[in-house]
Amino acid sequence: MISFLATGIGVAALLLAAWTGVQAYRRRPTTEGQMIGAIVVEIALLVQALIAVFRVAGTGLREPVTFLAYLFGVLLVLPLGFYLAREERSRWGSLSLCFTAVVVAVMVLRLVQLWGDRV
Amino acid sequence: MSEPAPGRPADAAAPTAGVHEHDGPPGGPRRLLIALYAVFALAATARAVVQIAVQFDEAPLAYALSLFSGLVYIAATVGLVTHRPWSRPLAWGACAIELVGVITIGIASIVDPQAFPHDTVWSRFGSGYGYIPLLLPVLGLLWLRYSRPGAEHGRSDDRSPA
Repeated sequence: MISFLATGIGVAALLLAAWTGVQAYRRRPTTEGQMIGAIVVEIALLVQALIAVFRVAGTGLREPVTFLAYLFGVLLVLPLGFYLAREERSRWGSLSLCFTAVVVAVMVLRLVQLWGDRV
Repeated sequence: MSEPAPGRPADAAAPTAGVHEHDGPPGGPRRLLIALYAVFALAATARAVVQIAVQFDEAPLAYALSLFSGLVYIAATVGLVTHRPWSRPLAWGACAIELVGVITIGIASIVDPQAFPHDTVWSRFGSGYGYIPLLLPVLGLLWLRYSRPGAEHGRSDDRSPA
């Protein structure tokens, strides 16, 4: 884990959630920009997972298995929101992407906590 | 005269509008429910698998319960995603079990915290998950009721005024 990368991803996910949330409030489907935003956040998550997997050995995490479960579990969430937003061209698609972006932010926060929890 | 009222156009319009490709109501809320349920299926199941693999002896009841809740969320997700004859009964059953589970475990974990030293998704009404576990079955059941076959919806888009 690299703390500025994790912070950046968390903030980006929250911004995406706010952006798609406003879009849902305005009863609109997601825009192309929002879909690209979701892809960018997902790529950043992939990069983070690759970096963290190499740095996790020998760090003495208290819950290494939980950490790895979050590290890879978080990769599954945005693709789900992305798929639903593409299928559902209405406010509900925007709301689905909004929800999954919030989940990503929460999971990244949890990852940072787990990373700091050493023996 | 511009568009039919959302409540009552069923009787006259039903025979012509009755080409049910996917049984009625607008699918939007269903997609959001799929997102919610899939995330919780992942969260509860992954949590249970990690707990059971790493430390099952510490709290077998809590971890078995986590796994059970994960399976219920998976069942509800499958019921929402698929369009089979068993899909809706499956979703109904899963949402009902979920509601009973979150209320029972929620009360039990507050009345007797000693019995639940390790959290499950349903402990304290799902407070560790923003109380969404308590809200979710209610939303699921409301949607299933709203979308049941034969229910009246304002599907004004496939009812031509003529």
